[in-house]
Amino acid sequence: MNPNEVDILLVDDSQDDIDLTLHALRAENLANSIFVARDGEEALDFLFCSGAHAQRSFDSPPKLVLLDLKLPKVDGMQVLKRVKGDARTKIIPVVLMTSSKEEQDLVIGYNLGANSYIQKPVDFDEFRKAVKLLGLYWLVVNQPPLATGKLKAAKQGQ
Amino acid sequence: MKDAGGSLCGGVAVLRDITEHRRAVAALARQAEELLHSQQALETQTLMLQSVLDSIGEGLVAADETGKFILWNPAAMRIVGMGAANVPPEQWTDHYGTYLPDTVTPFPPEQNPLLRAIHGETCTTEMYVRNAEMDTGVWIESTGSPLKSRDGAARGGVVAFRDITQRRADEREIRKLNEELEERVTQRTAQLAAANHELEAFTYSVSHDLRAPLRHIGGFSRILMEDFASSMAPEAQHHLQRIEDGARRMGLLVDELLNLARVGRYALNFQVTNLNLVVEEVVSLLQPETEGRVVSWKVAELPSTKCDPILIKQVFQNLLANAIKFTRPRELAVIEISQRQKNGQTVIAVRDNGVGFNMEYVDKLFGVFQRLHRAEEFEGTGIGLATVQRIVHKHGGQVWAEAELDKGATFYFTLGAESADVKSSEGKSKAATAGAEI
Repeated sequence: MNPNEVDILLVDDSQDDIDLTLHALRAENLANSIFVARDGEEALDFLFCSGAHAQRSFDSPPKLVLLDLKLPKVDGMQVLKRVKGDARTKIIPVVLMTSSKEEQDLVIGYNLGANSYIQKPVDFDEFRKAVKLLGLYWLVVNQPPLATGKLKAAKQGQ
Repeated sequence: MKDAGGSLCGGVAVLRDITEHRRAVAALARQAEELLHSQQALETQTLMLQSVLDSIGEGLVAADETGKFILWNPAAMRIVGMGAANVPPEQWTDHYGTYLPDTVTPFPPEQNPLLRAIHGETCTTEMYVRNAEMDTGVWIESTGSPLKSRDGAARGGVVAFRDITQRRADEREIRKLNEELEERVTQRTAQLAAANHELEAFTYSVSHDLRAPLRHIGGFSRILMEDFASSMAPEAQHHLQRIEDGARRMGLLVDELLNLARVGRYALNFQVTNLNLVVEEVVSLLQPETEGRVVSWKVAELPSTKCDPILIKQVFQNLLANAIKFTRPRELAVIEISQRQKNGQTVIAVRDNGVGFNMEYVDKLFGVFQRLHRAEEFEGTGIGLATVQRIVHKHGGQVWAEAELDKGATFYFTLGAESADVKSSEGKSKAATAGAEI
């Protein structure tokens, strides 16, 4: 998989949740280019092209980030804050996917600029439906923003 | 009178009027008597004044314009332990041992209330008095006022004072008690806040950590069933189905428990609410549950009332869902929502013709996890009515139930004083459906 051609960055520390999410995405043929980060730090390295992902480019951001809130090292809210607070990454759609339905998480998440907030349903059918809708919407229906690099190129071309 | 020859020829009489004299003597006597009288009266008055001054509890001290004491009553003597001394005002502080309320700084002589009174000022001050003649120091409160003659000329001053030691001690005690109380309240509040915080953390982790494994159990069972069904015995599939059902049921349980916990911390948001609209909304929300059944809804005219619309919707949702559930064995389910007035309060009633329950167990009805039916008969978590009760209590209302086994059940609730009904003509048109079936 080319690290610069990732559709979805899935950030989750639970292998069970990762497997279930991938299973659901595969059923919709949406699992072709997914990168899985197991903690907040790895997610930040991936998104900010640093550390193990230094070879990555800001010009090819993922089309979608599925972000769990409870993560080791750097938690989901901090990842969200960094991503939405940086001009290079703030256009990347971030969907919070979490077990919690706490109002405070909803409020904080949206205030930090989350594009969507999904409570992972306990029922697998519901879960699958949610993942399918999410994948289809953000990867197929939605017109993604131009990446900063491409944006520059587009401007120069005018 | 004699004539020229010396013989008597007549007489001369001299008359003197002494009336004036007599009058003057009488007036004098009278004056003397009056003087005596007024002197006696004055003596009586002085005596009376003296006994008044002797008997009052307040210390009274007066001085003339030079600062010489002209009055010093027994109470004054008792309070400061000393009598009038021939010392000038600037030495009063030293002589009588007067201090500022801090009990150590000598009282500034120029601020002595008696001296200020002599100088024409009226004032009230507190001072501490301690001298060799006293066993213990005392706090006094003294009020000084100028003495003036009839023409307004300054003639000195008078000071009245009383012992406020006990009062100060009482005040100090009260202040101390108040401070202790305040501290206890602060401590208790902190404990409560900590407990609340702990509860919130617990709720959060229940929400987050318990749901995840349930999702995994249900999810992987489902994947097994779907992807490996062909290589599995029907019995194995059945067992997997039961695993998945169990996970789903527990998910429901966790969600309802969280809901119950949330109601506890939720701050009420009072709004004028048309209860008929709420019922209508809930009935249509529950429509899927009545599929394939005949349910007759009888909704009377309900008041518009001040309550939290979101929570009241939850109350109706739980009560009506129960009514639907427990009328399931009936060919024709009849669910009535009505109201009546009792002691000036509106009582809302939800009645059904379902299976009812034995009134012997009515006490258990509103407890968490309490169920009066077996799970195979009627599904449920045993949290719905506990949530109803918590919401109603939060509104300051009451909830109770009446039932007869196999005849149906009626749930009643009120919404407390704050939720006074709002009379509005608007609600009337909506409520014209009174008794109508929807």
